[in-house]
Amino acid sequence: MKIFHGTLVALLLILAGSTQAAGTLTPISGDVQAPDFSLQDTNGKTHRLSDYRGKPVIINFWTTWCPPCREELPSMNRAWHQLKQEGIAMLAINMGEDEDTIFIFSADYPTDFPILMDQAGEVIEQWPVKGLPTTYVVAPDGTIAYRAIGSREWDDKTLLDMVRALK
Amino acid sequence: MSGILRTVVTVGLLACGFTMAWLAHAGVQRSSNEDNGLEKWHFIEGDIEIELVQRLPDQTRAMFMKHDFSREVVEAMATSCMFQTIIRNSGKSGSGQPVSIDLTQWRMRYKGKQRGILLKEPLIESWSDEEASPAAKLVVRWGMFPTQQEYLSGDYNWGLTAYGIPPGSMFDLDVSWAEGDKLRTGEIKGIVCAPDVDRLK
Repeated sequence: MKIFHGTLVALLLILAGSTQAAGTLTPISGDVQAPDFSLQDTNGKTHRLSDYRGKPVIINFWTTWCPPCREELPSMNRAWHQLKQEGIAMLAINMGEDEDTIFIFSADYPTDFPILMDQAGEVIEQWPVKGLPTTYVVAPDGTIAYRAIGSREWDDKTLLDMVRALK
Repeated sequence: MSGILRTVVTVGLLACGFTMAWLAHAGVQRSSNEDNGLEKWHFIEGDIEIELVQRLPDQTRAMFMKHDFSREVVEAMATSCMFQTIIRNSGKSGSGQPVSIDLTQWRMRYKGKQRGILLKEPLIESWSDEEASPAAKLVVRWGMFPTQQEYLSGDYNWGLTAYGIPPGSMFDLDVSWAEGDKLRTGEIKGIVCAPDVDRLK
């Protein structure tokens, strides 16, 4: 009976590990303060991260030429339509491209959340980003709560509930 | 009856466990994309998965010509044997250990000689502003694979790796990574750089 229980527990742990790999958010330990920025979106509006203090903010770093970035944009847009009424912000920071490039791209990948432009790549250098896409979830107190390297299905309920729990 | 049920469940769970263990230790799979003929090498060992997908020199030419690189740099990069590369911590073992890579430790073997792979930092450093504008350097900075990176379970990254040998060449690659504090190594044999356009005729 003990062997049976041991086998069951061990295999459930393995299964839990593989489920986790399917796509969740990685908690960031310690009080890592999110670097502030001031960037214009594609409509000319300036966004400062500090203006969003008091609400969770999803910040996605991406480019149009990065396949996994393109892959996750539709699910991000679906997630945004769920979150926008819940006091949760979503900002996508495009790295190194101009307004015209993003405009043409958005015909195939329409998004309704703000697309900010970091044309000189100065903001991304302030963040601990190593590759694209990388997404951070900033807690209402301005600390980085979660990180995701690589694309995710952003309208997944489990994932969104992790963001909602920060409120 | 409960004894039979317990036996069936135990056998089922053990079969499931063996299947997952096999999946977590599957070696290298080589495959070909039916649509474009490009080949892929998929290395799976423990929690790490490394995918190397051939990239035609013309794909690289197109990418670099869109940005402000000199003609010489475009041609040098296009013919430097680039692969679209994906590295992932699958978390299949259930250990929850982070996986970290350091491309400075990877070694390629080509025509009997061994050396490191091309890294983005020295490449960017080697270009003058005339050869690559600051905006163009950003494309390489973020388009080529990070030299060092850590992946927690479920994390993966995408980028280009380059090997600096002519199109159509064949080489072996010794890869290394750390799972937690344990250093691990593996080998991907017989990787073939995509041929250039003239060789497709």
